Amino acid sequence: MKNLFFIILIFSSIIFSQENNQLVNDNLFSLPNIKKFADYLFCQKDYLRAANEYERILNLVQNDTIEYKIALSYLEMGNFNEASTRFNSITESSSFYKSAQAQSLKLVFQIGDIVKFRSQYLYINSNRAYLDSAGLASLYMFSFLLTEESLPNEDEFVNAFQIAEKNKIRNFYEWKKDFPEKSPLKAAIFSAIIPGAGKIYADEYSDGIYAFIATLAAGYLTYDNFKAGHDFRGWIFSGLAVGFYAGNIYGSAAAVQIYNAHIRFDFVNELKAFLEDKNYFLQVFNFCN
Amino acid sequence: MCGYLKFILFFSILIPIKLFSQDIIQNQYSYALKLYNSEQYYDAITEFKRLLFFDREKEYVYDANEYIGMSYKIGGKFSEAILYFTIAEMNTDNNEELFNSKIEIVRANILRRTISHAVALLDTLQKDKKFTVNSGNICYWKGWAYIFDDRWDEAAHEFSKIDSCRTLMEFCKNVEQEKYSVSFADIISHFFPGAGQIYASHYFSGFLSLGWNVLWGYLTINSFVNNRIFDGLVIGDLLWLRFYNGNLENAVKYVKEKNLWITNRALDYLQFDYQGIKP
Repeated sequence: MKNLFFIILIFSSIIFSQENNQLVNDNLFSLPNIKKFADYLFCQKDYLRAANEYERILNLVQNDTIEYKIALSYLEMGNFNEASTRFNSITESSSFYKSAQAQSLKLVFQIGDIVKFRSQYLYINSNRAYLDSAGLASLYMFSFLLTEESLPNEDEFVNAFQIAEKNKIRNFYEWKKDFPEKSPLKAAIFSAIIPGAGKIYADEYSDGIYAFIATLAAGYLTYDNFKAGHDFRGWIFSGLAVGFYAGNIYGSAAAVQIYNAHIRFDFVNELKAFLEDKNYFLQVFNFCN
Repeated sequence: MCGYLKFILFFSILIPIKLFSQDIIQNQYSYALKLYNSEQYYDAITEFKRLLFFDREKEYVYDANEYIGMSYKIGGKFSEAILYFTIAEMNTDNNEELFNSKIEIVRANILRRTISHAVALLDTLQKDKKFTVNSGNICYWKGWAYIFDDRWDEAAHEFSKIDSCRTLMEFCKNVEQEKYSVSFADIISHFFPGAGQIYASHYFSGFLSLGWNVLWGYLTINSFVNNRIFDGLVIGDLLWLRFYNGNLENAVKYVKEKNLWITNRALDYLQFDYQGIKP
């Protein structure tokens, strides 16, 4: 009986020591656990902490998925320089290489350096084939909407996109082609000829009518007061009239500039929202499902 | 006998495993707490999150979330803090923990300046019979909520309900008394242009406003007296009324500026010199 008990104890202590070793290796900072935790943080969108945890792994082993996720984390945080460096550090042997290169190129676009993006795209496209070439081609074509360059032919432009996107893209194209901007110079000239006309041209109707009445009234009162010998009031009204007249010319030009800035802002915002929605036409890896 | 042996075998394996894994979790909690206590809040959040991720028994779910919330609050990330305090609140074991979590949510709301949320939460707590014993505490935080909402008299009223808060009550009363009256400045400016600015100690602006109003008022009346009605209407509308309105707006603006300065000085005192608990 004693022997049996002894055997059991030895047996259990062996198992216990094995389990112990496993637990020691399996502590919270073991490689698999760091990875699990990092993935959890990444999916919780706690990107800074996720990147830090992934870095811990990279210090121990090389892993291209981890490298790619670090780059994505920096991208999500808006740290474009670091993200670009990380995407570019992914080597050609990696299965993420093409996507990383595409992301890196997209970053140039995202930073707003459209000219650089276009030249880099043309250079790379002529030298290397991309997995995501269709997406980058769409992005390249889309970039025309954000520059002052003349637009390509409508069909050529629209055909660079997928069928589901074509309608929206055609709308953008037409919007850009006949951009409803107005001329500040025209507004100033209109107001110089008829006070308030420039404001009406800038779609500010009430301001235009008010400016017209105020300038006319001040002008009339200047004339009338000088004529009646009330020089002091005459000078006051002449000051008012000149102020209204000049202010209205300047104000009309400024109103048109504000109008233009407003429609340009709306246009760019719509483009950006569309791009974000389409993830810049690039392939998306879903690491969280 | 066989059952006895199985029993020994089973527990000699399972208990150490269980104890050992809980040891790891407990060590992690101690480590995270150490980081928190040494004011390394970013790292503390990471380690508390790691603890939460691996704590399958959910033994530390309340404490860890509470500490994460505190760390975020100290870092000025009030919305994140509220999120974690709310998770902590959902995992409380007793009324004391529940009350603490709710108060932490209130404090974060005060700092985030979502005062209406804070006051609404405090009102709910006040109505809850579970927390009758904490009524003093509730009034205290209501007082602070009113302070941050620039309602110093109401804050003084809340502090007056707590015996140990006499100093704070006096302080709030003094701030309220020191503040300038916006409506008074507005009213005197209606009757005597420039008076509101002078009341807010902006003497030059006050007298200048008075001068302009006298000039344009005189010219308007003079035009009417001379039977030049249209002249009078235009001068009155385009000049006198504009300067008159400007005088009213300026009076209110200057008084508000003055009050802001007084309030900021008071908040400055509370932040750096007041020794009691603060949001």
